[in-house]
Amino acid sequence: MPQAADMINLGFLSDSERELILEVLRRDEDLRQAEEHRVRKLKTELLDVKRKGAKRGSGRYSEHSCGRCLEPLSRLTVFSSQCKMCNHHVCRNCRTLFPNGTWLCSVCAKESDLKKRTGDWFYDQRVNRFSTTPGHDLVRVSLKKRPQLKKRETAGEMLLRSTEIKPDPPAPVPRPRQKNQTDSKSHSSKISGSLASRESFESKEDIWSKPAHSDTESAENASISSNKTETESGRVTPEQPRKETHSVQSSPSGSSSSSLTIPVKADIVSADSTNPEANNAPEVKPVSPAPELDVDRIFKKSVRRTQKPPEYVSTVDLRDGLDKPDASLGNRSHSVPGLDVQEDDEEEEDIDSLVSFHKRTMVSSSSSLHSSKSTLGSMMSIYSEAGDFDSVEVSGDLVFSMSYDEPTQSLQVFIKECHGLAYGNASRQLSNPYVKCYLLPDKSRQSKRKTTTKRNTINPVYKETLKYSVSRSQLFTRSMLISVWHHGRLSRNAFLGEVEIALDCRDLDSPYEDRVSLMAKAASTVPASAFAQYKGELVISLKFVTPKKPTTEKIKGKKLVTEEGGELHVLIKEAKNLMAMKTGGTSDSFVKGYLFPTKAKTSKRKTPVVKKNLNPHYDHTFVFKEVALEQLRGMCLELTVWDREAMLSNEFLGGVRLSSGKGTVKIAKEEVEMDSVGEEVSLWEKMMQYPDSWAEGTLPLRSTMGKAKGK
Amino acid sequence: MTDGDYDYLIKLLALGDSGVGKTTFLYRYTDNKFNPKFITTVGIDFREKRVVYTASNPNGTTTGKTFKVHLQLWDTAGQERFRSLTTAFFRDAMGFLLMFDLTSQQSFLNVRNWMSQLQANAYCENPDIVLVGNKADLADQREVQEKQAKELADKYGIPYFETSAATGAEVDKAVITLLDLVMKRMEQCVDKPPAEPANGNGATKLGEAQPNEKKFFVRGPSSQLFSVKTTAAFIHEASPVTVMQVILQ
Repeated sequence: MPQAADMINLGFLSDSERELILEVLRRDEDLRQAEEHRVRKLKTELLDVKRKGAKRGSGRYSEHSCGRCLEPLSRLTVFSSQCKMCNHHVCRNCRTLFPNGTWLCSVCAKESDLKKRTGDWFYDQRVNRFSTTPGHDLVRVSLKKRPQLKKRETAGEMLLRSTEIKPDPPAPVPRPRQKNQTDSKSHSSKISGSLASRESFESKEDIWSKPAHSDTESAENASISSNKTETESGRVTPEQPRKETHSVQSSPSGSSSSSLTIPVKADIVSADSTNPEANNAPEVKPVSPAPELDVDRIFKKSVRRTQKPPEYVSTVDLRDGLDKPDASLGNRSHSVPGLDVQEDDEEEEDIDSLVSFHKRTMVSSSSSLHSSKSTLGSMMSIYSEAGDFDSVEVSGDLVFSMSYDEPTQSLQVFIKECHGLAYGNASRQLSNPYVKCYLLPDKSRQSKRKTTTKRNTINPVYKETLKYSVSRSQLFTRSMLISVWHHGRLSRNAFLGEVEIALDCRDLDSPYEDRVSLMAKAASTVPASAFAQYKGELVISLKFVTPKKPTTEKIKGKKLVTEEGGELHVLIKEAKNLMAMKTGGTSDSFVKGYLFPTKAKTSKRKTPVVKKNLNPHYDHTFVFKEVALEQLRGMCLELTVWDREAMLSNEFLGGVRLSSGKGTVKIAKEEVEMDSVGEEVSLWEKMMQYPDSWAEGTLPLRSTMGKAKGK
Repeated sequence: MTDGDYDYLIKLLALGDSGVGKTTFLYRYTDNKFNPKFITTVGIDFREKRVVYTASNPNGTTTGKTFKVHLQLWDTAGQERFRSLTTAFFRDAMGFLLMFDLTSQQSFLNVRNWMSQLQANAYCENPDIVLVGNKADLADQREVQEKQAKELADKYGIPYFETSAATGAEVDKAVITLLDLVMKRMEQCVDKPPAEPANGNGATKLGEAQPNEKKFFVRGPSSQLFSVKTTAAFIHEASPVTVMQVILQ
């Protein structure tokens, strides 16, 4: 009987075959559960190690205490006590030695190790490949919602779950509307054989990518997709019936048995009516392998399949989950009650987020010198930081407290006093200290707060409260940088020490007083890059559109297309976590795009401005015409995000540079190296590799476009 | 078997035409037995085996560090009608045993197609693969010459083994080679995460890491992106410690 289980794709199997496979899947589940258990245990261990190190997020503190256990470091261990990965100075006990003589601090070592042991290295790779499913041929399709993938989910898990959702396969629930179809389906699904299997598998694949849909929507989508396939594949016979099934769907009164293959689709429909998860099913791109095709085509097609789905996507807004694969857990548990029960909160804080936070705060602090483009004021202090830093031996400590005030939605930093500061002006034994705060990662003027300056003392008492209006939820990812400066009336200001307090682990409900040692700036050995400071991300899709012509060989014909006339479509979807430039903590941003080397007319493109949003959705497409695929290899696409400033010059928020990453390109009469890295390269390559399909990616924004480019 | 008492769970998957001997190959590997009967695999199956993996240094010497590795070896049906089911499992495997039958030219010709399948459905576009020509014991029926297969493997940049599930020849070696590739890939992924260009100089190499000649991530020297001024400031800032180190050492 081909009911429940077949909506899960096992429809083409005989009962005994299905039983065999289910048995395999159950064994797999046992193994998986043991594995999950093990992984959870490992991650808990990491959290433990992590929480012990109080200075986790910060790279700056003097060499005098261990960044992990906070024990003072002896004078002799000061040198070479820096962890190569995170730059913390750590004592011998907090190091993990490797056989080749190198070492890392215990947290970093643990993190790397865990990435391996938990298999996260693998799932991360996989997510990269399968979650950034690019779009489809309609340019202005909204790509707002992307398919959700649970990072660690496996095919077996999927399949097994989908069978278990409907626990008693042999008893079809009465479905008034589609009764006919259901029946006919059960008769003929065996006849339809491999075709049925194809359909059902598509539906399964789709479940991976999309959590929930409405019936009507999915039906529509299905029809869209089958139309599409028809044109693309040129297969006539299998296609025909599929369309018919749709007419059956939309008008349930229609005859349900007009053709052999109708039941295939009806199959899915009937499942829909009983099961929420099944709603995914008909959405599928029906482009999966047809038995009669040679495998090569299958390859092409399945690639396209993985790239197609997103635009059919549901009504559920999943944006919140986009950042971390794990965030999707919530969604999934809705649609699959009970199955995610074992996923507790702990799981949410997976290594990735830990690691990335760890690193991000690290990096932002170690590269602070490079970051601020904000104002003259901060600029001054930044350069003075650089200049006077080494002349002052940091000493003393700071007494402060921090709390979050719910009524006013503000973070309050109470600076009480300092003790035993260094002399800012050593020759005159003089210090005029003031305290300055930044709510990192924002190092702009908006984030700066200062106390008054106390004159001629190394034990200043301030008792001043510095306030930040910020929602509490945001604090989790931020940290407070408190620095002490000597105000030189005639000379430059001198840096007297600083501390960075990560806010995610701090209790902000009770303002307890903290006395911390001031730290020197960490002398980073990491050459910071344009990515050193986290500037947010840009989500884009690229597609090369081959010139219109008889398209029989379109897919294979990468090499055939040599004439100009192709188009590069760049869908600027959204940006995330942009820097706030305006008061009120927002930015009015837009994206500008250039394709280098520029052609006859200017290649400049701009999106409209999205106001007051640090996570703006542009959903705007740049079209660069008259380009050939071969040319793109030597071209470079530069996208920059700007905060629009009505009267002044626009502020740069970050940018990306897409290219093959090799060679140079002529920009404004200068040969500029195409220095694209990582995703910038892979996305560009992917676009060239699969013409006529969208390649979507999330790119980290560079904090500077470096090199000869003035803009 | 599945008690979670292991250091790594590594998932490998065997694929190839129907009848090339995937099931018997895995059976030989896990149980060291041979079943000459041909029983076609229904869709998918898997076997497990616990092995001890010894990490090696870049210079080839062993570090003496050993890990317990739990292998989950997925067996797939070669038959066309299960294709959509089996390919769905490709994405969950970390490494692949791509098998053909040395006595069947056709199965060898299809290797190319399987490669495409892998590229399309595996977790990344260039996963770790080992090419396996099975049934090496049937010398008199041989249709595929070693040279031919070797050339193909070289073209793909993957190792090639001629195995016999019947005699057990080279079976272990093929699997272990694949495991080794996967473990190296793992080291590489963790030590040089592509998504973290911020972390710069790749100073994070752990003990057994070894540069893999297969290029997977494109990385550029990150420092070059900086303007001269800021770099200078940076050096300046960094200097005290550097100086101190020199003195103390």
